[in-house]
Amino acid sequence: MNIHLCKPWEHQLSRRQLLGTAAAAAGALGLGGLGGLVQPAVGEELKKKRKQVLFIWLDGGISQLESWDPKPGTQFGGPFRAIPTSVPGVHISELLPRMAKKMHQVAIVRSVCTKDNSHSAGVARIQRGDPKNRGVTYPYFGSAVAKLLGPGDSGLPPYVWVKPGSGGFIHQDAGFLGAKYGSLAFGDGRPPENLLRHESVSERDNLERNELRDLANKRFGQGRRKDANEANSYVYDVAMALMKRQDLFDEKKVPDKDWDRYGRTEFGRHLLIGRRMLEAGITFVKVNSYGWDTHGDNFNAHRSLVPKVDQGVAALLEDLIDRGLYESTLLIMMSEFGRTPRINGHVGRDHWPEAWSVMMAGCGLKPGAVIGKTNNLGTHVATEEHDIGHLFHTWFKALGIDAHSTQYDNNSQPLPIAHEGCHAIEELLA
Amino acid sequence: MNIASDKLRQLFEPKPLKVIETKRQMSIVRFSPCGKLLLAGGCDGLVHRWDVSGDKPVELPAVDGHGGWVCGLAFHPQDKSTVFTADSWGQARAWTYAAEKAQPKWKVENAHDGWVRDLAVSRDGKLVATCGMDRHACVWAAADGKKLHGFAHSEDLFSVAIHPDTKSVVAGDLKGNVLQWDLASGKQARTFDAKVLYKLDRLQDCGGVWRLLFDEKGATLAAAGCKPSSGATVQGIPTVLLFDWASGNQKTSLALGENIDAFTHDLAFHPADFLMAVTSGQPGRGKVVFWRPGEPKAFYESNKIENCHSIALHPDGRRLAVSGTSRGSNGNGRVLKNGQYVGNTSPIHLFQFAGG
Repeated sequence: MNIHLCKPWEHQLSRRQLLGTAAAAAGALGLGGLGGLVQPAVGEELKKKRKQVLFIWLDGGISQLESWDPKPGTQFGGPFRAIPTSVPGVHISELLPRMAKKMHQVAIVRSVCTKDNSHSAGVARIQRGDPKNRGVTYPYFGSAVAKLLGPGDSGLPPYVWVKPGSGGFIHQDAGFLGAKYGSLAFGDGRPPENLLRHESVSERDNLERNELRDLANKRFGQGRRKDANEANSYVYDVAMALMKRQDLFDEKKVPDKDWDRYGRTEFGRHLLIGRRMLEAGITFVKVNSYGWDTHGDNFNAHRSLVPKVDQGVAALLEDLIDRGLYESTLLIMMSEFGRTPRINGHVGRDHWPEAWSVMMAGCGLKPGAVIGKTNNLGTHVATEEHDIGHLFHTWFKALGIDAHSTQYDNNSQPLPIAHEGCHAIEELLA
Repeated sequence: MNIASDKLRQLFEPKPLKVIETKRQMSIVRFSPCGKLLLAGGCDGLVHRWDVSGDKPVELPAVDGHGGWVCGLAFHPQDKSTVFTADSWGQARAWTYAAEKAQPKWKVENAHDGWVRDLAVSRDGKLVATCGMDRHACVWAAADGKKLHGFAHSEDLFSVAIHPDTKSVVAGDLKGNVLQWDLASGKQARTFDAKVLYKLDRLQDCGGVWRLLFDEKGATLAAAGCKPSSGATVQGIPTVLLFDWASGNQKTSLALGENIDAFTHDLAFHPADFLMAVTSGQPGRGKVVFWRPGEPKAFYESNKIENCHSIALHPDGRRLAVSGTSRGSNGNGRVLKNGQYVGNTSPIHLFQFAGG
C-alpha cells in the first residue's frame, strides 16, 4: 500500500476519488460533533434549537456605495440614486429595489472597519474572524460553525459551499480544527462526478469492498496522526451520505416559478440550491459569487451584478419566512472589504476596508436595524467602528454560542473562538 | 477633403495649448457651436463652463439643477444659445448657456427612470433624443420638451444618435444591439449587429455600445465600445465598428488599443473625413487616436493623457478638447494627500492641430 497517496480532500471531489482512497476506516467517525471543545455542554443546548447559517460571499468586494450605504449627490456618490425602504428613514441604492421592500426583515451594519485591503490576506482574514495571532491557523466561519453546532441529524456534512467553477473538499478552511471540518464544495451546485455506484458493481460487491476498505483504513490509521485518518474516513462518509441524497441535486424537483423568482442566473440558481441544502438540514451553507473586484467600470458592473443578487436574496428571504426557517437561520451577505469612495480613471473603485457594510438577517437579529453610520462622504465610519471580530461575536451570540465562555481545544491549547478584544454588537441582537 | 495619407499626421497632429484644471471629475466635454464656450458635464451634478475665446480659458459660473452625473450634453446646432443636458437621476433639460446666469427653457424631471446615458440633437435642431438604463429611447421636441416618442428596448441603453436626415433614431444597448427606429411610423426599422461589444462574464454583463455617431453625410454609423475579454475589472480592446448606413453592413472594425486599454469612451468625426476617438482602460491607460476609415491603421496615436473620457472638436475644425484623469488616480485603501482624502479630477486638455 502506498502511504504517499494523495489525500482525498486535496482533489476535486468525485466518488471515485472519495471511495478510491486506499485508507478507508472501518469506524465512521461521524460527521462533525462537538469533540474538541472545552465546553461540550454547549452542544446539548444548541441541539434543541438547531440553528443554521446561510452565508453569501460576494468575492472581490461589493461597493457599499452602490448597495447598503449610498451617498447620492456627494463627491463620491456615483451616478445612482438612493431609494426609500420599508424602514422609515432608511435608504439604500436603487440597485436593490426588492431588498428595499424587505428592509424591515434584515439588518445592516454600516460601520464595518477592517484591516486588510488585499484580497490574498483579506478573504482569509475576514472569514477566519481576524483573531489575534497565536501561531495557529484559525478556521473559517463555516468550519467554526460546523465544529460548534455539529451536523444535526440530516446525515449530511455540516459545511457545504455552492460555488461557481469546480468543486472539491476544501480542507484549508478548517485550519487547526482538522481537515474534516473543511468545506465540501459543489462546483456549479452539482454533485461530485460519478457519485453513484456503477451499475456493474452489485450491492453485495459494494458492501464487501467497503468492508475491505474499512479494514485497510484501520491498518493505515495505526500509528498515524488522527486528523489525517479522520479526514479520509470523513470524505468517504460524505460520499455515502450524498449517494443517499441525490434528490438534493435533482433540479427537476424545483418548480419553474422558483427558478424565475431567484433569477435565471448563475447566482440565482446557486442560491436556490443553497436554500435546498439548508432545508435538507445542512448546518452551514456558503453560496458565493465571483467577479466583484470592480477596479474598472464599477458602475456598469454593479448595475449588472447587484440587481441579480437583489432578486435572489429577496426570494430567499421570502422562502425562509414562508418555510419557518427565518428565526433559526442566520443569513449573512458580505465581501472581504468594500470599495473606495474615490473613483479612479477606469471609472472603478478600488479596495476599501475603512468603512463598509454587511447585511444580515434572521436568527434573532433585530429586523430593520441599521447599525452605525459613515461620514457624509462615506469615507470613514462616523460612529463606533466594528471589526470582523465584532461581527463574529454577534453571529456566535445569535447562534446561541457565547464567544467569551466557549473555547476551542487545539491539542490541549485553549483558544478563543472570536477575537477577545471585540464584543457582540448588542443593538443588533433583538 | 482629399488629403494624402502621409500628410494627415503633418496637418492634424495635436499641439498642446492649455490644460484646464477641474475640481471634480467630468463625464463629457463639448464646444458650443459659436466656438466661444466649452461646457463639461460634471460628476457633481453641475454643468461647468469656460470661455475659451481668449488666450486663457476663463471659468464661468457652473450651472446647477441636475442630480448625480451629467452624462448627456449637446448643443442646438442653429440657435447658438440653447444647450440640452441630461443626468443620471433621470432628468433632461434645455437652457440658455451664453449668459453669465443660465436660464432654463424646459426640463423633464423624470425623462427616464434613472441614469440617462446619452443625449443627441437632430441636425435641424427640432428633435432631442435620450436613452437610459430604463431601457427606453425617447424623442423630445427641442422647442418645449414635449415627448414625441418612447421606444422600448429589452436591455439597458447606452447610446443614441439621430440620423442627419432626421428620419431615424438609433440606440445602442448593453448587449451590442443597435436598433434603428423610423420616426415617421414609430416602428423599428433595422438592427445593426455590434454584439462583439458585449460579453457575459460569470454574472456580469460587460461592455455595450457606448457611443453612436453618424458622419457628416450620414453614410456611416460608428458604434464604439469595448470588445470585452473579462469582467470585474473589465478588460478588453477598445473598438469602433463602422456600418454602412445604406446597406446596414459592417464595413470595418477598428481596434484602438490592447486588452488593457478597454473602452472607447467618445468619438468625433473631423470634416477631413477621419475619426477621432479617446480610450480609457486600466488606471493610467488612455489614448487619443485619429484614424481615417479605409486606412490600415491610425495615423495618430497618443497615450500622454491618462484615462480619456471625452473628446470634442471645436467648430473651427482646428482645435479640440480632451478630458482625461488626474495622475495616480487609483490605489487600495487609505490614500491621503496632506492629511486629506482627495478625489480625482478631469483635466481638460486643449489642443490645436499642427496645420493651424
